[in-house]
This record gives sequence, C-alpha cells and structure tokens, in this order.
Amino acid sequence: MSMHERTATTILLALALGWGTAIAAEGQKFGQPITPNDFAAWDISIAPDGVGLPAGSGTPTQGAAIYAQKCVTCHGEKGSGGSGGALVGGGPLSGSDRDPAKLIGNYWPYATTIFDFTRRAMPWAQPKSLSNNEVYALTAYLLALNKIIGENDAMNAEALPKVRMPNRDGFVPLYPGKH
Amino acid sequence: MNVKWLHRIKLVEAPVMAINETKQYTELLPSGKALQFFFPQEVKSFITRPSPGLTLKGPGFYEISGLAYSGNGPINKVEVSADGGKSWALAALDAPVLSKSFTRFRMPWNWNGQPAILQSRATDEAGNVQPTRAALVTERGESKAVPPVTAVLAGHFNAITSWATNPNGEVSHVYA
Repeated sequence: MSMHERTATTILLALALGWGTAIAAEGQKFGQPITPNDFAAWDISIAPDGVGLPAGSGTPTQGAAIYAQKCVTCHGEKGSGGSGGALVGGGPLSGSDRDPAKLIGNYWPYATTIFDFTRRAMPWAQPKSLSNNEVYALTAYLLALNKIIGENDAMNAEALPKVRMPNRDGFVPLYPGKH
Repeated sequence: MNVKWLHRIKLVEAPVMAINETKQYTELLPSGKALQFFFPQEVKSFITRPSPGLTLKGPGFYEISGLAYSGNGPINKVEVSADGGKSWALAALDAPVLSKSFTRFRMPWNWNGQPAILQSRATDEAGNVQPTRAALVTERGESKAVPPVTAVLAGHFNAITSWATNPNGEVSHVYA
C-alpha cells in the first residue's frame, strides 16, 4: 500500500468517525448533532454500478490540461510514473514476475474506482479540492491514456459505469459462495 | 483519532469496489487471477517454544507450545510433529478456545538430542487445515520480496512453519 493510499484509508475512516460531536441520550452534552450538510462531504463512496456519482462531465482533453497542472509532478508525463507511481501500462499478471505493478489498465476491475479515489485522495496535498467536472475529466484522461476509452469520449454519471475495464473478470472469490 | 468518536456508519448492499477492495485486499495467483476479498487470516499456528533464540539445554523433557488462530472461527485441533511432518500427535488446547482468538496449544516432548524439525498444524471449526509451505506456494505463488518467511504476496502466510533443532539445541527457521 503506497503512502497515498494509506492516507486515503485514513480519510475513509474519518468518514466513519465524524468529528468531535458525541451524542449521548444521557449525561453531559458536548457539541451538537451533526447535520446532513456536515456529513455530505464525507458521504462520497461510488459504487461500481454508478450509484453515488454526481452530476458533471469531463473529456480526456480537459483532463490533460488539469493533469499538467495538478498531477504531473508526482505521476510523470502522461502517467509515466514518479513519486506517486505510474498511471498507465502494467504488464501481464501471470508469469514469472510475482509482484507485478497493479495499475488501472492491467488490474483495476471498475472505472468507478478511479473517480472515487481521485476525488477523495487527490491531489496529494489538496485532497477533495477538485470539482466534480475536474474529476470526471481526469478520469476520462486516465482511461484514454490507457486506451480503454477513445480520446474524445466524455465521462459522466451515465458513461463511467459502462466502461468495461480490461481486468474486469480477473477476480475470483476467496470463499466461493460465502461472502 | 479515537474509536470513542465513532459517530456514523454507512451500510451498503454490495461492495463499493473502492481501491482497498480491488487493488489492495486481493491476492494475485500465478494464473493471473486474483482472490477477492482477501480480508480473513486463514487458519494458522506456529510454535513459540522452542523457537529461534530459545535454545534447548540438552536432551530431556520439554513442553512444546505455541499459538493457533483462524479468521474463520474457533480452532478445532492442533497437531504437532517433531519429524518434519512424517508423524503427528494431537496437542492439548488451553481454555478458553474462542473464535478468531489466539489459542494456546501444548505438547510434551522428549528430545533425544538429535536434529529434529518441529511443526504445528491447526484445523479450524470449519474444517480448514493449515497447508504445507510447498502447497501454499504452489497455489498462491511466491514473492521475491524479503523477508522470505512471509513468502506470499499479500503477507497472509498461513502455511506450516518449521523449526529445526541442531544437536547443540539451537533452533532455526527452515523450509520443510
């Protein structure tokens, strides 16, 4: 797990934990009940069928411009890699290399995960600072870089869940029928 | 962060397939397919005494003891071998034997001073049996990363662990 992903996990926990307002039916009353507006900012999980995707849209071209501004420092030109790791490529998963890079193009089974992770965790220094349009555009750019969608395909709440990832069928249950 | 501030839990009907569930908690197999979701620690045990650093002081009676646990429920039984898995005997389990909890096992042993390979093999209530290292590596593949004791990519290494004793009573980790 990279440093970036560990921080994202922390953010996920923060979603569950809330901040500072303990509500007890009895006893001392500190703070005040959290309001829907307060927790909406944390309630941002995106399901593989698209549930939770917000309104908005973005194209690979728009994403490329944002990428050059906010992502290239850590992820390299066109996702070629850097301190934040590569975002394109990835070799075969079978074979003699038992620790292959698990990247969007060769491993990730759902395109919605790109939107979810980018929105909650990126850019590294300013997580959750991107607009929904920007996240859609960056998601489209990464999918296009990996040649999973066309260079002019816009991503939005309708299109993104329909993207078929190359490794979609690459997973088997640890316990068949038990989870 | 503190659990006392646990405030809100969102339940969903199916996995949201976040990065943790797809890229991370999955175990890539040699076939190129990956096991999902790789959360539970499968049935496992190891001998804590004797073990590397706990040297035997000459031939005689010893108590072999160790810990067993399973992410799938309580431990059903633990067997111990002093000949590298050729023969096994049933160990005693200390109470309480609880689900997903450390279970202490014990086995009396008369060491004759000759080289021996000590192993423990746990079975959980669901009938899962700890595999040999060779069997696990065949199924899951072997990482080139160190330390080699973990062997398997995601670190859920639950295979049988082997301790070799030499005539001086020194104990070392071996693949057996």
